[in-house]
Amino acid sequence: MTAATFLAPDLSAAQRESVLGRTNPLLKLGISLAWLIGLGLTLDVRPPLILAVIALVAGLQLGEIQPGTLARRLAPLAFAALAIGLTNLLFSTHNPDPAAHEVLRIGPLRITEEALEAAAGLGARVIAIVSFGAVFVLTTDATRLMDALVQQARVSPRFAYGVLAAYQAVPRLGDDLATLRAARRLRGLRELHLSLLVGLLVRAIRHADVLSIAMDARGFGPGPRSSYRTVAWTRLDLVVGAGALVIVLVALVVSR
Amino acid sequence: MLLVVGPSGSGKSTLARAVAGLLPEEFPGEWHGSFRVGDADVARGDDGRVADSGSGAAPVTTAGLGAGIVLQDPTSQLVMERVGDDVAFGLENLGWTRAAMRERVPEALAGVGLRGFDDRRSTRLSGGEQQRVAIAGVLAPGPGVLVLDEPTAHQDPGGAEAVFRILRSIREREAATIVLVEHRAELAWPLADLVLALDDDGRPIDAGPPTDVLKRSARRLERAGIWLPADGARRSRARPAASLASKRVLGSEPVLEIGELRFGFTPGAPVLRAVDLVLLPGERVGLVGRNGTGKTTLLRLALGLLEPMAGRIRLGGRDPRRLTALELARLAGFVAQEPELGFLGESVRDEIELGLAPDQVPYAHDLAERLRLPLADFADRSPYRLSGGEQRRLSLVTGLARRPLLLALDEPTFGQDRRGHQALVAALAELVGEGSAMLAATHDERFVRDATDRRVELADGWVLADEPVPITRAGA
Repeated sequence: MTAATFLAPDLSAAQRESVLGRTNPLLKLGISLAWLIGLGLTLDVRPPLILAVIALVAGLQLGEIQPGTLARRLAPLAFAALAIGLTNLLFSTHNPDPAAHEVLRIGPLRITEEALEAAAGLGARVIAIVSFGAVFVLTTDATRLMDALVQQARVSPRFAYGVLAAYQAVPRLGDDLATLRAARRLRGLRELHLSLLVGLLVRAIRHADVLSIAMDARGFGPGPRSSYRTVAWTRLDLVVGAGALVIVLVALVVSR
Repeated sequence: MLLVVGPSGSGKSTLARAVAGLLPEEFPGEWHGSFRVGDADVARGDDGRVADSGSGAAPVTTAGLGAGIVLQDPTSQLVMERVGDDVAFGLENLGWTRAAMRERVPEALAGVGLRGFDDRRSTRLSGGEQQRVAIAGVLAPGPGVLVLDEPTAHQDPGGAEAVFRILRSIREREAATIVLVEHRAELAWPLADLVLALDDDGRPIDAGPPTDVLKRSARRLERAGIWLPADGARRSRARPAASLASKRVLGSEPVLEIGELRFGFTPGAPVLRAVDLVLLPGERVGLVGRNGTGKTTLLRLALGLLEPMAGRIRLGGRDPRRLTALELARLAGFVAQEPELGFLGESVRDEIELGLAPDQVPYAHDLAERLRLPLADFADRSPYRLSGGEQRRLSLVTGLARRPLLLALDEPTFGQDRRGHQALVAALAELVGEGSAMLAATHDERFVRDATDRRVELADGWVLADEPVPITRAGA
C-alpha cells in the first residue's frame, strides 16, 4: 500500500452513484468535445468562463465531488492556465504594433489592449479545458470508461485496455512519486532531486511491462472475449446530453 | 502434483513460467533442449535460441495450454481495479457468458476466504489478500495445469493453510496438474507426488517421489540450502543469543515509543485504534497478526511515512515526521514488503552504496557477502532482474547497511532458503547486540522463533498479545 493513495482517482460511492457518475462516459467525452467546438466559434472571453463555471458547479452539485478534491485537482492546472495567459500577454505580437492601443507601459514593456484581449481569451479557454477535464476525471470510473469504449464505441479490447492503463498512469505517477520520495528519505537522500524523473520513468516502464505479462498470463489475446459488466444508454444520458447542448447554445448567444 | 524446490536464485520461477507458457515470448534468453506441456512444444527449436514467431506455428500461450499461473509477486498479477472484475478477467478472455461469470466469481472469492470482496479495490488490500485474489482469478476458469510460484509468501498461517486446503482438494479430485514452487516444506512435501530439487546453478539434484528423494538425497538437499519437511518441527539452529537483552540497563532510552496511536486511511475505518508499544535497545520484536491487520501501516507510521490521526510516536526520542532525511536514515532502516518499490539504483552496486558515507561502505559490502549477494558476481546486475529471494536480500542489505538504531522489517524472510534465513538471523542478532532494536512484521513463525525475543500480535487495530518468545535451544 502506498502513501499517496489520495492522489488516485478513487471515486467515492457517492461520486459513482451521482447524476454525472451514472452518465455514460462516452457522452461526457462527447459533451466536452461539443463544448470545445462551440468555444472555437467565438473569440469572446465570456463563453469559456461561463461554461467553465457551469462545468464546475455541475461537478460539485451533480457529480458529488468534494470541493477540497476539486480544488486540489485544479490548483496546479489553474496555475498553468494563468502562466499561459501571462506569457501570451507579455510576448504578444500586438505589443510592438504601433497601431495597437497602449494600456500600460513599464520601461521597455508595452502592453496593448489587443494583446490583453487575446491573452484573456486564451487563458479563459485553457481554464475551460482544464475544468471540463477535472470534472470528467472526478466523475468517471476508469473501468466503466473502458467498458463503454469496448461495448458502445466498438473499440478493440487491446486498445481500450491501453486507454485504461494510460488513464490510470497519471494517478499512479503520484503514487510512484510518493514511494520514491519515501525511499530516498529512508536512505538519507534529499527527497527532491532530478533523478526522481529517471526513477519515475523506470517505474512507468516497469508497470507497463508487468501489466502486459499479467494480462498474457491471464489469457488475454486477440480471440473473442465476453464481458462481465454491461454499459447501456439510458434516459438519463438523453437528458444530460440535451441539457448540455442547450447550455452551450445559450452561452454562445448570450455573448453576442 | 510436482513440487519444485531449490535455493534462492536457482531458476524455480523461470521453470514455473515456462510450464505456464510465459517463456519464451515474455522473457528473452537462451533455451536448450525440449520442453513439452501436454501436446504443446513450449521450447520449439533446439538451436539454442528462443523460438520466435518465425517458426510459423501459433505461439504458445498460457490460455492455449489450458494453464494458469499465480506469479510470485501478487501485485504484479492484478489487472483490474476492483476485485470482482479482476477475478472475472480470465473468464472474459475465455468468452464465458455473463450469467456463468456472475455465478463463478463470488464462488471463487469465497473459495479463498474473500467472500464479499467483489467491490473492494485491489490496491487497497494487504499483500496476503492480493495474493488470494490472484489465486481466485487463476482458479476461476478451472485450468488443467495450475502453476503456483510461492503462493503463500505473504500469507498469515490461516491463509497458508487455506491455500493448501484448496490445493489438496484439487489434487484429490484430480482436477488439474499442479506445479508448485514453495519454501514452506512442512506444508508442501506431504502433498507432492513428485519432487524436483534444483541446485544453485539450476541443475537437478534429484527428482522423484518425495520419500525416495528424502531417502536418497536429504543430505545434499540440506547442503544446497533447501528447506526439508522436518525443519518445520525443529529449530534449524540455536537461536543466536540476544546479547544485549541482559544489558537492558536502567535509564536506557527507548528506541521507539508509540502511545495511544490511532490511524485510518479513511475517516470512518480505523486500521489502528489504540496501539501502545515500546522498544528498548537490544530488543527483537516479532509483529504478527492476520493479513490486513495493519502491521505494515504500523511500521510506516513508526518511520514517519504516514501521519497518525492521534497518538504519540517517538523514534530515538524524536518525532519521526520532523527528522531530516539524514537523521531518519541514521535512526532507522526500513526493509519494505515489496523490494522493487524501494530500488533507486541502476545496478546492485549502485543500490547498495547509494547515500552511504565512505566509512559505511565496507560494512555494506561485507553484509552483501554474508547475505549471499557477493559484489564479485552481482555488482553490475540490474536490481530488477534478480530473483524474488535475491531482491529481498538486496533490500535487506540496503536497510541494514547504516547499522541504524531501529531495524523496521516487513516480511524479511519471504523467498529465503535455509542459508538465507540463517545468514539473516545471524546478521540481525549482531546488529541488535550492538544496541539496535528490531521490529519485524512477519508471518514466518520460524523467524519469530529463531530471531525474536518478543512477540506482539495485532488484531482489529489493537495489540492483542505482547509476550516473550520462549527460549528453547536446539539440543538443549
